This record gives sequence, C-alpha cells and structure tokens, in this order.
Amino acid sequence: MRQWRPEQIWISPGEEATPIARRVRAALPDVPRVTAEVGESSAADRFSAGKRRLVLQRHRGSWLQHCPAGTAGLVCCNYLVVNFASNCPYDCSYCFLQEYIANNPAIKAFTNIDDGLAEIATVLRAHPQRDFRIGTGELADSLALDPITGLTSDLVPFFAAHRNVTLELKTKSDCIDNLLRLDPQNRVVVSWSVNAPTICANDETGTASLSERIAAARRVQAAGYRVGFHFDPLIEHPGWAEGYRETVAMIAAAVDPRRVAWISLGSLRLSPGLLTAMRARPTTTQVLSGELVPGPDGKARVWRGLRMQMYRTVEGYLREAFPNVPSYLCMEPAGVWQHVRGEVPSDREVAQRLVAGAL
Amino acid sequence: MPEHPTTTAVHAYATARHFSTATRERWLRLAPGDQAVLLRLAERLRLGENQFRDFLDCSEDIAGRDGCTIGEVWAREPIATTLARDLGRNQMIAALRAALRLLRFPQLAAANARLAELVSQLHLPAGVRLHFPLHLEGDEVRVELHSRSAAALRECTAAVQRALENPALDEVFRTLEHTP
Repeated sequence: MRQWRPEQIWISPGEEATPIARRVRAALPDVPRVTAEVGESSAADRFSAGKRRLVLQRHRGSWLQHCPAGTAGLVCCNYLVVNFASNCPYDCSYCFLQEYIANNPAIKAFTNIDDGLAEIATVLRAHPQRDFRIGTGELADSLALDPITGLTSDLVPFFAAHRNVTLELKTKSDCIDNLLRLDPQNRVVVSWSVNAPTICANDETGTASLSERIAAARRVQAAGYRVGFHFDPLIEHPGWAEGYRETVAMIAAAVDPRRVAWISLGSLRLSPGLLTAMRARPTTTQVLSGELVPGPDGKARVWRGLRMQMYRTVEGYLREAFPNVPSYLCMEPAGVWQHVRGEVPSDREVAQRLVAGAL
Repeated sequence: MPEHPTTTAVHAYATARHFSTATRERWLRLAPGDQAVLLRLAERLRLGENQFRDFLDCSEDIAGRDGCTIGEVWAREPIATTLARDLGRNQMIAALRAALRLLRFPQLAAANARLAELVSQLHLPAGVRLHFPLHLEGDEVRVELHSRSAAALRECTAAVQRALENPALDEVFRTLEHTP
C-alpha cells in the first residue's frame, strides 16, 4: 500500500482536538506541523506544490450537492456528491482539478465531519422512500488519505446504519486496510477508476498500479463490500482497444461478477481551461494526442463517431465478462446512448438500475 | 554555460512578438532541433502568438502520438509539399493548418473524405447542399435547397428524391456513426 506523506501539515486554529486532526497527528508524528491558516504557495508550479501540503480545516457551507456531471441535455444517474476533502495527492495528467482548483495551496481534509453526516442524515430522513447514491470521490480520491485521516471509520458505520442510501468510495488507491476492519452492511460500494494499462502507468502519477487496484478490489469484495469500476476517462491512444480488453480481462479474472455493483464508461472530456493547464505543465502525456474536438458544450472530446466506436468496443468486452452487471455512460447525450446501447433510459431509470446493482 | 544560439533567437523572437511567458516556456522546453524548426517557421510566416501556439499544439500532439520529433512532423507529407508551395503568408498559414489537421485527425479526416465521396455519389445538383455537423460532432444532416425559379426548385427536389433511393445515403449516416 502506498501511503501519501505530506511535507507539512497546517491545522486551522481551534481544530487541533478534532478526531481527524488527532488521527493525522498520530499517523504522521514526524511531519512538521503549523497551527495557522494556510498561506499562499510561492512555488512556480503551485498545483504540484499544493499536493505536498495537508491542511486540516472546517468545511463551510453546504456539504451535499448534485453531481456536476448532471448537465442539461445529458443522461444523468442522479448521483449526489459530498466532499470531505478537496484536492488529491495523485497527479493524473488529465485531472480536471488542474483547472478547477489550480491555485489551491494544499490538500484540504475537513475536520467537521459530524456536520456533514448530520446534513446527510437530515436529507435521508426527509425522503425515506427515495434510494440515494452518494459519493465522496469528486474533488478528492475517496481513500488516498484514509491511512492518515481514518475517515472511513466515520463514514462506513454511518452509512451502514441507514437503509435508503449507498455510499460510493471511488479511488485509484489500494488504501483499504481500514475498510477491512469495518462492516458495510451492504450499504457501501468501493469503486475503482481504471484505464488501459499503459494509461495507468504513464498518466496516473502516484496512484496504485492497475494490478494493485484490482487486487484491492478482490480483498474488499472478500470482506463483504460490493465493488464498482469506472472506465473513465476512456482515452484514445495507440492500441486502445487491446489495452481496454486487457483491463477488462484482468478485472474479470480477479473479482466475483455477482458482487460488482456497477460499471461506468465515460469519454475523456477537457474544458478549454484544462487543456491550457495541461499543456503548460512540464510533463509529457499522450492523452492530448487523441482526435479531440470541441463539442457543443465547449469541452474537447474524441470526435463522436470514434467515441461511439470506443464505447461499443469496451461495452462489448464488458457484456462478455460481466453480462449481468448494470453499466452506464457518464456525461453523454441521449443520441450517444441510443447509438451505443440502443436505448435512452430516463435519469430515474438509470438511478434505479444502479441502486438495484448495489443491493 | 552559454545559452544555445537557437535559444537566444527564440527569446528574441518571443520578446519581439510579445509572447506570453507560458508559450515561451513551452517553446524553450523543446529539444534544440525542434525549437529551431519552429523558429524558422515563425520567422518565415511572421507568426503571432495564437498562430504559433496552434502549430505548436498540433505538432506536439502528433509527435507525442507517433513517437517522433516535431522536426520530423514538419518534414512529413503533406506538410513538406505545402511548405514548398509558392503561397502568400495568410494562404500558407491556412494551407499548413489544413495539412497539419490531416495528420492530427487521421480518422476524422478519413471520415470527412468518405462523406465527400458519398455525397458525390448522390449526384446532387448545385442547388442542393448537404451540411454535416462541425467536426462530425452529431448525427444530424442538414439539407439546403437553393433556387431562383420554380423549375429549378422542382429539379432540386427531384434530385433529393432520387438520392433517397441511393444506398450511398444510408452509408452517409453509417459513416457519421463510425460504424464499420
């Protein structure tokens, strides 16, 4: 297991005694700590420098939000997101955080977790007939910080105690040791973002290798969790079809398909700002070499015909290996669903299938 | 250590043209040979920053995908032939963009060429035009009729009617879906 280690920890005044701060101090006793609000970074590459500093502070404002992928005109899966951290220790070449939090001076882990859980509990109680899916992996990897924050020891018991919600922990790590000690009561899906082996190796800096991720999936399945896989972003690169076939085969050889909750496919999508940020960084990536063109929403994607061919190809591999596992396309319009899958389900239908897959 | 002469020249060009620091740094990160190829191009065509960045983006993407240098990209066809043509500055820039695009988007270019070939098989008169979505990012085909008389309009609609029976029309829609 690769445990991320910051170079410096900043703790907001007044937050030193919170459970998160206590656990971080215990896990990293020798990392220099400052009790103060974090200052601006003076590093030339502020985005990279920010990934070496950990800030523990309160979250202000609302916790629970609709997934931003639910843009008008796209088929959506009615997913909710909650951010217990912001920024990620990993440095994937295509990550939207390079634009979204470009000037963020650090990785932030929020200390007032109880406030977030209380807000979620209120929503769950207010809608007892609705089945919710809530994920923590939007602005941060769900598990990368877990060895030092122990956040899952707060989250898993909370979600295990509620009957109308499934928590999704989405990760590129193999930081699952805490999870193995907890009982998810079938309310937690641990999912892995996966890619073709060459993309995992070259473009997902700092993450667990593909085989480490799959080995971790196997272990959490054995410990009672359902698992999920996100082939997102699908990236057009030389040999992409063979690469994705290999990834599907590796997963199929390792996990029990009956305990796979869902699998998603999503194409690489890059806003103009993200494209600029990626090109400005002193790293090389083949990701930008795909046949990316701007779409109606301004984001660059592989042009539609090729994108659909990629979806059909990977879906074909998945149907063969996981014939009974629900799958969906992320951030695609009805036309693409129709051409790729021969159906255009409503948002509610997609959500219902995924809830069923999680149970 | 003294600066490489090309690096000095790149600095001078970027300064004279008020290039942003980000663009200048990207240029200077290239190998000296690649810096020089782009410098010759920039000087010959008096490229402004946006034009230069377009060429840099495109040639970097091609080189990254094909595992070659930017210099090798600019020595390839159809770029080499385009560079040898006797064109004015603006025409040359446009022609180079088109040539680079063929290398940068080979499958999209092939789909566009295939669509053009299929449209020619429909034998439509000049008054009937088919429009495809920009970058083929969609499956909607727009048919435009132009006419200055009722007779000409009848001729156009008759041609469209004949095209409806032509298998090439079905192939047009299959090509938009990139269905083999």
